[in-house]
Amino acid sequence: MKKIKFLLVAMMAMMVAGGFTACSDDDDDNVVSNMERYQNQVEQTVRAQKKHNKAILLVAFGSTWQQAYDAFDKTHDEYAKAFPGYDVYLSFSSAICINRAAAGENTAKRNFYEPKYWLEAFGRVQYQEIIVQSMQVIPGEEFSRVVNAMKDFGNNVNGDLDDNYMKKFEFDEEGNPGENVLKLGMPLMYTEENARTLAVALNNNFKQYAQQGAMLFMGHGNPDSYDTYKANVRYTQLEEALQTINPNYFVGTVDMMDNFKVQVRDRMVEAGLTAGKVFCAPLMSIAGDHAHNDMAGDDDAWDEEEGFEVNDEGEVEDTSWKMYFSHLGYEIPARAYTDQGEGALVKGLLEYDNIRALYMNHTREAEVVDYYHSMYPEE
Amino acid sequence: MRQTINRFVAGLVVATMSLPLMAQNDLKLDTLQQVVITGTGTQHLLSDVPVHTEVISEKTLKQFGASSVEELLGGLSASFAFNEGDMGSQMQMNGLGNNYILILVDGRRLHGDVGGENDLSLIDPQNIDHIEIVKGAASALYGSDAIAGVINIITKKHDEGIGLENATRVGSYGDIRQHNTLAFATGLLRSQTNFQLQHSDGWQNTATEYTPSSATPVTDSRSKTVNRHTNWQVRQLFTLDLRPDIEMYLGGSIYGKGIYRPKGKYPKYDVKTYDLTYRNASAETGGKWTTKRGDIVTLDIDWARHAYYHSFTSTTLAEGFDNQGRLILDYPYFAGQRTLQSDQQRTMAHLKAVVALPYGQRLTAGAEWRHDYLKAPTSLTSKTVTDNTQALYLQDEWNKGLLNLTAGLRLNHNDGFGWKLTPKLSAMISMGDFRLRTSWSQGFKTPTLKELNYRYIREMNSIIMYLGNPDLKAQASNYYSLSGEWTYRGLNVTATLYYNKVSDMITLVTVPHDEAPAEYRQQYGEMLGKVRRYQNMEDARTCGIDLSLKYTHGPLSAGLSYSYLDTDAHVYDADHDRLSRVVIDGSAYHKATWYASWQHRFSKAYQFGTGIYGRMSSKRYYQIDGDGRHYQTWRLTTTHDIGRSRHVSYRIEAGIDNIFNYADRTPHGLHLGTTTPGRTVYATLQIKFQKGKKIKLNNTFNSNQTKDYEED
Repeated sequence: MKKIKFLLVAMMAMMVAGGFTACSDDDDDNVVSNMERYQNQVEQTVRAQKKHNKAILLVAFGSTWQQAYDAFDKTHDEYAKAFPGYDVYLSFSSAICINRAAAGENTAKRNFYEPKYWLEAFGRVQYQEIIVQSMQVIPGEEFSRVVNAMKDFGNNVNGDLDDNYMKKFEFDEEGNPGENVLKLGMPLMYTEENARTLAVALNNNFKQYAQQGAMLFMGHGNPDSYDTYKANVRYTQLEEALQTINPNYFVGTVDMMDNFKVQVRDRMVEAGLTAGKVFCAPLMSIAGDHAHNDMAGDDDAWDEEEGFEVNDEGEVEDTSWKMYFSHLGYEIPARAYTDQGEGALVKGLLEYDNIRALYMNHTREAEVVDYYHSMYPEE
Repeated sequence: MRQTINRFVAGLVVATMSLPLMAQNDLKLDTLQQVVITGTGTQHLLSDVPVHTEVISEKTLKQFGASSVEELLGGLSASFAFNEGDMGSQMQMNGLGNNYILILVDGRRLHGDVGGENDLSLIDPQNIDHIEIVKGAASALYGSDAIAGVINIITKKHDEGIGLENATRVGSYGDIRQHNTLAFATGLLRSQTNFQLQHSDGWQNTATEYTPSSATPVTDSRSKTVNRHTNWQVRQLFTLDLRPDIEMYLGGSIYGKGIYRPKGKYPKYDVKTYDLTYRNASAETGGKWTTKRGDIVTLDIDWARHAYYHSFTSTTLAEGFDNQGRLILDYPYFAGQRTLQSDQQRTMAHLKAVVALPYGQRLTAGAEWRHDYLKAPTSLTSKTVTDNTQALYLQDEWNKGLLNLTAGLRLNHNDGFGWKLTPKLSAMISMGDFRLRTSWSQGFKTPTLKELNYRYIREMNSIIMYLGNPDLKAQASNYYSLSGEWTYRGLNVTATLYYNKVSDMITLVTVPHDEAPAEYRQQYGEMLGKVRRYQNMEDARTCGIDLSLKYTHGPLSAGLSYSYLDTDAHVYDADHDRLSRVVIDGSAYHKATWYASWQHRFSKAYQFGTGIYGRMSSKRYYQIDGDGRHYQTWRLTTTHDIGRSRHVSYRIEAGIDNIFNYADRTPHGLHLGTTTPGRTVYATLQIKFQKGKKIKLNNTFNSNQTKDYEED
């Protein structure tokens, strides 16, 4: 009898122990404090760096490529030189890029916080002028996120910024800006005029290649399902502007409907370019995964018997631009499809002085944002 | 009142407790006299088992000296392939992955998976008595998952007075293994407590990352081929012989595992911001009642939990819930915090009876109930999901002269896919030294809760998003096999031809980026390399031949195991309205293992054993990220049983694995043929203390055919 009792007690004890083990691993303890703690960390970073009453926030999607960090660092330094009265900050909108940049060992740790955290911190330390410069190429989907972050700041979504300070950002009844200003620097091809200006700058950098063969630019583009602000048209306008300089220029994308590498090639054939050299360069602020893999990578879905297979959207998948044009009989100068040294074209736009200068012009021309009556759709 | 309680307790105990797989046998003189259970769910001698069963015996296990279940299965059977990785060992059996292999520990399903892979570290290699492997579909008996086959790992059971055992193993790359057992057995009650610890520092086969040809090469990466990891487990089992005909048991376990990842200087390649943490627990109870006639009724109830966490090592923005409770993809976590990725819990109840019928028949009947629960706050839109399965099954074994026929049928009902009937038919003809076995069986696999509902991001060189698919159908298979076995003196030769056709096979298929939810597309942007979704493939088949040759002559034994595999799989390509052929990831045409071992007792106080083992695999094929290289490795082991006082015995095991120092140095980011680090050495010291009388267990195997219907 005693043994049965013992067994019963042991059985209950074990079930209880199992139950505790099952329930003790709770991870939901820090929901509120984590966000505040993180914001405080950003605020401390800003307080440590604040030298002026004016700030420029450069906002990019982000990257994990060392080459991209170098380009961002260079841009930051050039901005600091060009805008001496301003504190310059770099921001990524990609969480994973922020995570990786801040975590490495034996390498410089960089804090590229998201725009919403930087802006909130700017508000806490009460910068009087804030210019947010979009590092995007077109005013597309990523740009809309930059605008949304500014609207959230303007509307004091966290509700903890000083009311008097925030009031100074408001427009008066006659529509004049307030004492404090929040400005937005537009993307590289915000207007059609910008596209024409960019064409001239690009021609300066790439004319020797366009003279040897086809010079292709690979932009990102909005997908067809959500062509934010109808911004894809800028790629077409850029190609038109470039072709007035040299018909060997073409501008394609990885995501814009009817402007994939396949359609670029169709336009090349129409223009009589069925053979010869093909050079490619990314039309993106930095050279990351798209530039290295989709443009200059080795992915190749060529089938010896059936050739390339075009999908419903008119694109050949799993094939880089390099391999695509190579199989279609074009010459691919190996030197151009690298990211370092003389003649290397796998470089982001921010690696070129004259393109950085165009971004800086946009910063100088930055406009005050009326976030109460926004021209942009609500988040 | 007291009497009422007693009756209640006794009733409860009778109804719920027994020991399903405590079968020890006294006839383990050599392998063929091993008692096996897995093929039919009833006990048979290996030499007479109607369903072809492979056994890795205790003797083989001891001589091989494996540090893990992966090592011993991969090293001793040609049908297995492994690739150790972050997310558990990717196991394959005759071309089909872990998803299709049912792994049992003492007859109970191993629980929990990450990416479809079981965590085999839950099994202490030092605590294995023997392993039974039954290839091919076995769903009639076991239900879901038994498509490629069943691996039943039978653990050691102590049945003598007081037993204490300690085994400490050290090896290259910080390999440390601890195994401890404390056991006692009185007339009625037996208790066994096990503790195991496994640790490895991990290793790096190459410092080169796979980089596109356009990029600057990375040759000083800190990414490891196998990451540093530590796991520990405590198990407790009580067994009570309430009456000579009633045995009950109560047990449970807790387990923890950590996988630690390096933080290098290349954010794109070797910087990780979180480690992986696992927490498991289980509880089981049951009973076994043997009638005077020798019929057996068992009831087993068990609960198991497998929880998986990300443990942050630096500030990380990841999926979480903001102040308003909304899911956001950039919720900040700090070093030292952890967040639950998934918590899988399973509760099962299984009632089974094995009854002798007239005319040499033996009937097995059972009912099974299973409840699955998945909690994954950031990866499920509903935060939790559940699934229920009920099943009834029947099996009849009929012995008539040289012929043994086994027929089984299982009726399943599942919340998701409804009713399903799964048959099985097998026959054996025994002619002297020759056995001919043939079988047709069906298998099925219920889509897992993760395959149906889970969505998650995995960070490798690029980001891969995985999407569950609520429209998945159950996978079903038809398995046909023909096997011949010839035993002559010390020689045993078997050849098995098989054909396994899986329809509606679930696999990950790359889908266009716009299939990913918009918030993920925006958050991951260009880093989102691929979006992959679970999908039913049109069909897949594996076919091949398994050969096995074993020879024993006195102290010498040798063996060869060879597997030829051919696979063919199709997936429906909706874009082009046609079937396209895909490879089954990780499959190889040729695999083999071989060994020779010798044992000699030099004196009363010293016995020596040595073995040489080899394994090879031809190229392993993959859909993406390159193929795995062919390889061949060799292993040399020695064992030394030193002295033996009345109660204490000592044993040293030492050996060299991968003698010729082969390592696959393919850059990180591409598939490897094998993850072996090259040559490694190991040494184990085992001390055993045993005092007391051997308890006569009532489930000892009895070879009398008319009573040969006990089950575990």
